[in-house]
Amino acid sequence: MWRPAMRAEVGGWLQRALRAIRRMAGMPDYAAYLEHRRRHHPGTAMPSEREYYAEYLTARYGDSPTRCC
Amino acid sequence: MQTIGWILVSVVGAVSWGVLALHRGETINAAWLVLAAVGTYLVGYRFYARFLATRVLEIDPTRATPAERLSNGRDFVPTTRGVLFGHHFAAIAGAGPLVGPVLAAQFGYLPGMLWIVFGVVLGGAVQDFVILFASMRRDGKSLGQMAKEEIGPVTGVAAMVAILAIMIILLAVLALVVVNALRDSPWGLFTIASTVPIALLMGWWMKVWRPGRTLEATSVGIVLLMVSLVGGRLVAESPVLAPYFTMNAGTIAWLIIGYGFVASVLPVWMLLCPRDYLSTFMKIGTITLLAVGILVALPPIKLPAVTQFIDGTGPIFAGKLFPFAFITIACGAISGFHALVASGTTPKMLRREGDAPLIGYGGMLMESFVAVMALCAAAVLDPGVYFAINAPLATLGGSLDAAAETIRGWGFVVTPAQMQSLAASVGESTLLARTGGAPSLAVGMAQIFAGVFGAHLTALWYHFAIMFEALFILTTVDTGTRVGRFMFQELAGHLWEPMGRTSWYPSTVLASGAVVAGWGWFLLQGVHDPLGGINTLWPLFGISNQLLAAIALAVGTTVLMRSGKARYAWVTLLPLAWLLVVTLTAGWQKIFAADPRLGFLAHAAATGAQVASGGVDPATGARLIFNDRLNVAVAALFMAVVVLVVISSARVWLGILRGTTPATTREAPRVATSYAR
Repeated sequence: MWRPAMRAEVGGWLQRALRAIRRMAGMPDYAAYLEHRRRHHPGTAMPSEREYYAEYLTARYGDSPTRCC
Repeated sequence: MQTIGWILVSVVGAVSWGVLALHRGETINAAWLVLAAVGTYLVGYRFYARFLATRVLEIDPTRATPAERLSNGRDFVPTTRGVLFGHHFAAIAGAGPLVGPVLAAQFGYLPGMLWIVFGVVLGGAVQDFVILFASMRRDGKSLGQMAKEEIGPVTGVAAMVAILAIMIILLAVLALVVVNALRDSPWGLFTIASTVPIALLMGWWMKVWRPGRTLEATSVGIVLLMVSLVGGRLVAESPVLAPYFTMNAGTIAWLIIGYGFVASVLPVWMLLCPRDYLSTFMKIGTITLLAVGILVALPPIKLPAVTQFIDGTGPIFAGKLFPFAFITIACGAISGFHALVASGTTPKMLRREGDAPLIGYGGMLMESFVAVMALCAAAVLDPGVYFAINAPLATLGGSLDAAAETIRGWGFVVTPAQMQSLAASVGESTLLARTGGAPSLAVGMAQIFAGVFGAHLTALWYHFAIMFEALFILTTVDTGTRVGRFMFQELAGHLWEPMGRTSWYPSTVLASGAVVAGWGWFLLQGVHDPLGGINTLWPLFGISNQLLAAIALAVGTTVLMRSGKARYAWVTLLPLAWLLVVTLTAGWQKIFAADPRLGFLAHAAATGAQVASGGVDPATGARLIFNDRLNVAVAALFMAVVVLVVISSARVWLGILRGTTPATTREAPRVATSYAR
């Protein structure tokens, strides 16, 4: 029904919206992390999504409060 | 054209304040409160925040932020300003701005309104912005680290002790709010209890089953949460199930204490992180809904502008308008706790320096607006109903009839039948003396929503509001216990090295136990307090939060002085001076006031006299007296720490002014941004 170009555009828009929601809630974003690694540390081994998730949680729920009163 | 727009905004704000100040009569529309607040925020943001950004802090749009320089895809992530605004707001806004204004409404709506709006523009938002800026220029360093580096090592340790002590009081008082909202309420308790298995399912989903699918798991979690909200009604109506979920305050307190301990020693992915996601979405959704509800319904405010209780005889908490209105409302006007978030996750995510005013100053204005909405939700209730829900049972008299009589004596009208039908309409057995602010806020919100969506859903809205508050309070309890545990380990590590190892399991269990025991003690003290506990613990919390703000402002002033901005130091010194006057007066009165309702020592003496005359049994008397002395010690500790921090800061300031201390700062070196303009 939809033309591929239109579908791609709506898909991209949706991707960006979901990424914004994730970031706002402090959720991990594996795709963005892979992008970051490829750009800044090319040629190194990439962690799996599972490993990334564990590392992300350690970094986020460390010793400084993430939530206030 | 722009100038005309700003003149218009200023005029609308000023006229609204005029209407609020001069209004005499039965009711006034909530629209005036909203307009006065928003008008003042806009003027404050456009003029004062810009002055702070360009003249005082000298924001440099071409300078790279830590997020750009240290980007690692995990905590240092450059984030667009709209998204970061939401992230920062969700991190700073919690139960504080919802509860404080509701309690302070015993003075009428005007004192709270003035303090919330002008306090934020000149104090709270300045604090958040300055600390965010300072941390951003120092690679995202925490408040404690900055206190240590800019003022001195002793101040650093003092600030950490203060933060830990504040955390303990904060967790106790917030847990008490939840206990008071859930006691004898099978519907509420069932809904909140369901969040634990829901969170466990989400945790398993995101970690084990489909790693990283956080949004997917959270959507399922929210749907299940709504199912349990509706299911709570069936539980409450079922003669078989209801008794299992009907518990007294003491039992619920112990359950929360156990939950806090378990949640802080379990891996974060199991319980803590999924609950965090649930509560974040519920928070943003509900606050948006409340704003829409108030703007659409524009309900009439029934509370008087000022009540007779400004003389210190108020039933909800003791103490005069000055200083206690400024203690009771901390979050929403100025909240020291924000300095921890503004020097925590947020500075590591700023994409550009130029975004800092919107995030730091603007984010706090938004929280202040939440406080104004909470004030509206309390003030739309009949004053008689408001006092019947919020005053302790011992003050009201044991029964509905006695309460109606007591409240009539205060000059407000409420009938037993009115309270009964109100309780029935929200699906509760009683609403009498449900202290803590959450239930009256939920009744107010339910009335506002019922005005927009129809009255047949009132009970559901009430429990929705209770669920939303309890959900994010419990999230504060588990994340707070965990952060407290790390702080305890770091402090204890100075005394005995193995305690400082965060990966050593016995240390983790011991430190978690110590933190939980700390806030658990104060929680149980509040639960067993004949006057309901809120009137003791909330002022202590307010004092501690304001004193943390004083420490943050002292750090901010030092940073300004060290950057050679001594002539602008008044931007942080003025709110600091005000907070010192307010909190030291309040602390002094809480300890030494002759009125046993207000002063801890006087209360201990009065209890001793009651034990001697046989009015109170010796065991209870001994416990009450011990708690009074403990509260004296806590209040004195807070006051001592803040005086210490301010004195050691003042020595640095004088040194800089005299030229004996070099005005050097520890900012990270400037690197130009690579982002296009």
